[in-house]
Amino acid sequence: MPGAVIRLQGPRLALLQFAAVRQVLLFFAAAGLLMLLILLSLRTGPVELNNTQVLQSLWNAITFADIQGQSDWVVRELRLPRTLLAVLVGAGLAAAGAVTQGVFRNPLADPGLIGVASGAALAAVAVIVLKDSLLAFWVAIMGPLALPIAAFLGGLAVTLVIYRLGTRNGQTQVATLLLAGVAINVLTGALTGILTYMADDQALRSMTFWSMGSLAHGRWPEIAALSVCIILPLCFLPRFARLLNALLLGEAVATHLGYRVQQAKLWLITAAALMVGAGVAVAGMIGFIGLVVPHLLRLLIGPDHRALLPASVLLGASLLLIADMIARTWLAPADLPVGLVMAVIGGPVFLSLLLQQVKHSRG
Amino acid sequence: MLNVKHLSVRIGGGFNRPGKNLLTNINLHLGHGEKLAVLGANGAGKSTLLKCLCGELSDYQGDIILDHLSLKFWQGAERARQMAVMPQKVELAFPFRVDQVVALGRAPHGDENQSTALQRAAMQCADVWHLRQRSYSGLSGGEQQRVQLARVLAQIWLAERNEQGQELPRYLLLDECTSALDPAHQHSIMQRVGEFAGRGVAVLAVMHDISLAASWADRVLILRHGEVLACGGVELLADAQLLATAYALEAPLAQRYAQQNLGWMQA
Repeated sequence: MPGAVIRLQGPRLALLQFAAVRQVLLFFAAAGLLMLLILLSLRTGPVELNNTQVLQSLWNAITFADIQGQSDWVVRELRLPRTLLAVLVGAGLAAAGAVTQGVFRNPLADPGLIGVASGAALAAVAVIVLKDSLLAFWVAIMGPLALPIAAFLGGLAVTLVIYRLGTRNGQTQVATLLLAGVAINVLTGALTGILTYMADDQALRSMTFWSMGSLAHGRWPEIAALSVCIILPLCFLPRFARLLNALLLGEAVATHLGYRVQQAKLWLITAAALMVGAGVAVAGMIGFIGLVVPHLLRLLIGPDHRALLPASVLLGASLLLIADMIARTWLAPADLPVGLVMAVIGGPVFLSLLLQQVKHSRG
Repeated sequence: MLNVKHLSVRIGGGFNRPGKNLLTNINLHLGHGEKLAVLGANGAGKSTLLKCLCGELSDYQGDIILDHLSLKFWQGAERARQMAVMPQKVELAFPFRVDQVVALGRAPHGDENQSTALQRAAMQCADVWHLRQRSYSGLSGGEQQRVQLARVLAQIWLAERNEQGQELPRYLLLDECTSALDPAHQHSIMQRVGEFAGRGVAVLAVMHDISLAASWADRVLILRHGEVLACGGVELLADAQLLATAYALEAPLAQRYAQQNLGWMQA
């Protein structure tokens, strides 16, 4: 029997190629869209710039030439960092969302649910409020990076606690894990609330801003640190794409297929926590990207992680860029927190996706 | 070949609770091309045995030897190229298409895109070729089971070869793989699995339906309370006394089952 079947029929082959070509085209389209959005983002703002100026300034920035004139300065010191920040944070959040949903086999397993965001928030608020008293030593050691590093560590710590609570005998019980996540999130939320209550006016202001998410504070040093935390895990993720696919059939089946599931899960969760924690640390809480982007893409290209992960990166970056452009132009010169804009866009999009799916499944 | 020596599994046994023996001193031999049916009442330890054999459960006493090497020393990926396992029910978290699910069976070999001909053959073997473009989640329970069978068949469709060019043995473990199938599919699928065994694959099937086992298996292993009650040729299933003990059946019922099984064996 096996010898007789090594023959691929014409139409089937054509169909396969068609699907592959379509996927490649979609990728190029998404990458092109991202490029266009980056250009647009560099042009957008109170100072009018045209394409040539933007491209010239970009070239200057890439070649490390000296800053020449106002437009060059605007691009290099204001818009380029902010744009890169949006791209990095958006890509990281979306990829982390795809990973956590895949690992926990649950479309609702947003990175927020496993505690990354709330842990990061608690640590950040603690630093803001207690920087003159209890945590003075931390601020003294870490200097300007005290807040982002604390947020990142907080996120990672809370995630690991929740993961431990949800794991028994090396098996992760997704239901237990999500419930533990809810409980721990309530706890960290309460602690954050208590700290907020203790805060003075100045601390409250910076806290509010931070808890709504904003890309306004990214400067080159933060971006350098962030890019390591996000690009490094992103480079490793493709190695796990096949495993994530197998994991969709369940942990047992993935084991049968020869994967070291427990070990891989720990790597994947750490990678997700790293990306989200770093993002939250620099840009504050930005919700919905991790939930909506992978969900939307699964409807468009299916759940195969070999395509889903890179597509999430491209679409997540694009989405946050759009949201940020809206945030800084809508009520200009006021700079809206991008987290709010994202929620305003993301909520309805998610609801409509949900309703469409319900309609679809009914027939 | 697969050799199980003095296998015991114990769970629980906390601070002040007694533990429970799921399996006690199981010995088993499975050779190439053999069709072994594992039978027993609910909770007799059939699934636990299967979990040990496929590496899902590693907390056991005794030893499981796969091709002269203890299962504990096997690399997961290597084991998966020679041993395929079909669980009773597989639910998908996100909607893959049928052909994508079957392609996952090739993941241990890393040739999902190159082995389409082989995947097609496996799908035709399990009678799901016509469903290939459908979403797995939308299929009926029986259809899903056949898709899973196609996946595990694709996983070990061709024998791997070692450096000397010798074919490496293959193993197929099935956990009640026909529980949701209609009678026609039950028999045709088990016949296909039997043909697969004919090509040198060692097949171990945990089965619920004793008449199906009688019509299909070469040998049977009957478990009771985690111990081997009987192990031998399929003709054991015509022994009314044995069936009565194994399934706690009343004598007349056991008699009828034994009669029926004899019929199946002769058919």
